Amino acid sequence: MLLQQQVLPPMAPRSRFAIATALGLAACCAIAPCHAEESIAPAVPFYKLSGFATAALSWSDSGDADYTSSVLKGSGAGATARLSANVDSRLGLQLDLNLAAQWSAVLQVISEQRLDKNYRPTVEWANVKYQATPELALRAGRIALPMFLAADYRKIGYAYPWVRTPVEVYGAIAVTSSDGVDATYRWRAGEVKNLTQVFYGRNNVDLPTAGRIEARKVAGFAHTAEMGPASARLSVLSTELTVDIIPTFFAGLRQFGAPGMALANRYESKQKHASAVSLGLNYDPGAWFVMAESGRMRTNSFLGDSTSLYAGGGLRHGALTPFATYARVRADSPTTSPGLPLANLPPAAAAAGAALNGYLGWLLTTAPEQHTVSAGLRWDFAPSMALTGQFDRVSPDGVSRGTFINVQPGFKSGRSINITSVALNVVF
Amino acid sequence: MGAPRITLCALALLAALIAIPERAAAEIVVIVSAKNPVSALRADQVADIFLGQSARLPDGAEVVALDQSVGAPLRDEFYQKVSSRTPPLMKAYWAKMIFTGRGQPPRELPSSAAVRRLVADNPALIGYIDRSALDASVKPVLVLH
Repeated sequence: MLLQQQVLPPMAPRSRFAIATALGLAACCAIAPCHAEESIAPAVPFYKLSGFATAALSWSDSGDADYTSSVLKGSGAGATARLSANVDSRLGLQLDLNLAAQWSAVLQVISEQRLDKNYRPTVEWANVKYQATPELALRAGRIALPMFLAADYRKIGYAYPWVRTPVEVYGAIAVTSSDGVDATYRWRAGEVKNLTQVFYGRNNVDLPTAGRIEARKVAGFAHTAEMGPASARLSVLSTELTVDIIPTFFAGLRQFGAPGMALANRYESKQKHASAVSLGLNYDPGAWFVMAESGRMRTNSFLGDSTSLYAGGGLRHGALTPFATYARVRADSPTTSPGLPLANLPPAAAAAGAALNGYLGWLLTTAPEQHTVSAGLRWDFAPSMALTGQFDRVSPDGVSRGTFINVQPGFKSGRSINITSVALNVVF
Repeated sequence: MGAPRITLCALALLAALIAIPERAAAEIVVIVSAKNPVSALRADQVADIFLGQSARLPDGAEVVALDQSVGAPLRDEFYQKVSSRTPPLMKAYWAKMIFTGRGQPPRELPSSAAVRRLVADNPALIGYIDRSALDASVKPVLVLH
């Protein structure tokens, strides 16, 4: 004490206390490592709860139809209400369990607007994973389908720069997950890193309004190749699809003899082979990025065949990411049909036939034709949080309703509709 | 009476001022246990391991990455150097991985010393630390300037 008095300048009691505390902390720090060294292998926590959320608002300058991000939603911005939170808002929670050395399980539940307009949560992922080797993973249970470049993570707004993935490509996907098995294998070929995923399963969606969607024999693969900042993904999916929403219409057609039967068989979506193929390219050196993707869907039914594409890019300037995208979808199947021949029918039957022909004509415009020019800005204003503003000029082409729903009598194809959106994205 | 205290404060301030630029230009070393036969790794090989895209060293041995804590300047600099990703881009990357069930980020430790201690004892671990925390218990396999 005497020595200290001589070496250190005299201090107020408070300062002495501070130094004693600091010394005590230093001593603690010096002792602590002895305990830390006892645990050599890093402990893996048994469970982990995480989540993602998007709070978004979209405004449409037209009341003639609802703009939506998915065919599986009940309303959007426009006809129902010019300003809508239903287009992109959602909440997802995920529970990860580490069951044993190579076994893990995941449960992901998402709440977003559904066809019946409520937000009742649905199970997006629920599977058990067996990591056979560091390169090979096998999963059984519910798996989100890796269609196109981003289908399996398109609900995590924080993971991509836009407010939503381009609706021309992603909005039409009615079957988003499959109950079955998948295998993912990582492999290298020189400088190229490859990830190959194959899957098989089935999916059943009971539509809350009426009818159901059933996909049987859902099979396909997704292959991703990466070299430096460049990556490419090829995905192929095939299924036996039933979209049973208008059974009375097809029953009606079948009452008109051979021509009616032929039309019903041609357009009814009942265990029809459907397929989706896509090729996506991405170049992302960090300071900027460009991406492009093209996809083709075949349904062999009234749902139609289409080719879609988008191309876009952006700059990363500190916390700001301005971006622009062009997206387009074209129907490859005829959007008109001569329908039932009515010439030799008695008047009552001809009138009924004409009504069916009218409905068929409307049905065939379901195959969307549309193009959109988008521009926006993402702002990463805080860790794990981003605010994105986006402007979309959406133009349904030809006779199509495009990707719009709840179409009102005043709606005109070929007239552009402007959508302005703001989304707050969080991951936790 | 007051002069020595002011000197102390000035010294502390000076130390802080020197420490900040030193921090920003810190040399990061990627380390494995001194018992590990691997001698050198490329930045892209290190990135693959820390981004959960590879779980092996070039000799085929399985390896587990240890990370620094979120928000640590050393961590932000490390990922910028090996993968050209800013903290938000790393967050977006892991959001994609986690929510598609592809993987979980590496376990985090509070300091370079803590990383070094765990890596030293276990040849199946890899970490990165500030060069000043380097000692003979671990082997540097990549230096990031």
